Amino acid sequence: MNAFDVWVSIVLLTLSTVITRCSFFLFGHAVKLPPKLQHALAYAPAAAMAAIIMPDLLSSGSVVELNWASPKLLAGIGGSVFFLVTRHLLGTIIVGMTLFTVLRLVL
Amino acid sequence: MMKETNAGDAQALSANAVERRVERDAFQEGWRASASTIPAVLAWGIVSGMAMVKSGMTLWQSVAMTLTVYAGSAQFAILPLLAVHTPLLVIFLTAMIVNLRFVIFSAAVAPHFAHLPWYQRLWYGYFNGDISMAFFPQRFPVQTVHQPAGKLGYFKAICFPGWFAWQVGAIIGILLASQIPESWNIGFAGTLALIAVTIPMIVNRAALVGVVVSGSVAVVAIGLPYRLGLLLAVLVGISAAMLVDKMIDKEKE
Repeated sequence: MNAFDVWVSIVLLTLSTVITRCSFFLFGHAVKLPPKLQHALAYAPAAAMAAIIMPDLLSSGSVVELNWASPKLLAGIGGSVFFLVTRHLLGTIIVGMTLFTVLRLVL
Repeated sequence: MMKETNAGDAQALSANAVERRVERDAFQEGWRASASTIPAVLAWGIVSGMAMVKSGMTLWQSVAMTLTVYAGSAQFAILPLLAVHTPLLVIFLTAMIVNLRFVIFSAAVAPHFAHLPWYQRLWYGYFNGDISMAFFPQRFPVQTVHQPAGKLGYFKAICFPGWFAWQVGAIIGILLASQIPESWNIGFAGTLALIAVTIPMIVNRAALVGVVVSGSVAVVAIGLPYRLGLLLAVLVGISAAMLVDKMIDKEKE
């Protein structure tokens, strides 16, 4: 990991936080988003999350492994079911990590 | 003359006292409403701290990142990108896409604080994350836009303790990270946290299609250079979701 890249990334990420969170706080009176763009924006975060989560569950590095006996995939599914039932964030992390660890040692 | 001024001062003073009282009560109300989220925020902070160090960042880089960026999902999203030398532009765009929900949160909450000077709006806007969005619009619906009483107190209570818990957690995580073996794969806790954040975002059939399509495209396009598969996946996913909305609208007609 290149130190320069990391520091620039930290600055860029800070900028990203400020730009997105403060956008309407600073310019709310001046901007009106077109309805179509607002509509698209509403689906962007979930789509972005899925695009990060799925490759992480189904691959190691840059190679896709479609293998049902993968600890990550099974623990991810287990954690999702737990969250759907309980809506509990912390519990989901604990259950998912426990499942992952057990499966990693067993499979 | 002298007497009148005194009376005016006294009135202004008591009005000030009343205002302070209102904000203090609002702070307590906000704290009671959101205190139950603190343990989860602390735990997620710990996970974020560990994930930063485990991905190869130094102690000071990790501390600087948590204190300034303060956006867990974006941090979790770019850590794997940093590890494989992704171009900075792609890293920035990825963070922007993951953070896009904050633009929507900002549009929802900002009108309530339009009466404040710009530097205060900038300051409070920075703290308007997932937790404040979960509580503020419920307590202060759109109709209350022009009644500022109690809003600042309530907002501070749902934002500042969470910020503090997150940072304490992150620093604990940064310090603990070296004690934890690689094989525990503690970064996976970040993925689990992302799953728990994403599921409530799936509010209708269109969003579900968007998530499934985007996730699938991201897996298929994993080999594309510069992690461009991620951006491609998001664009295709959004288009799919909007298409489903269009089809549902047509069905209704």
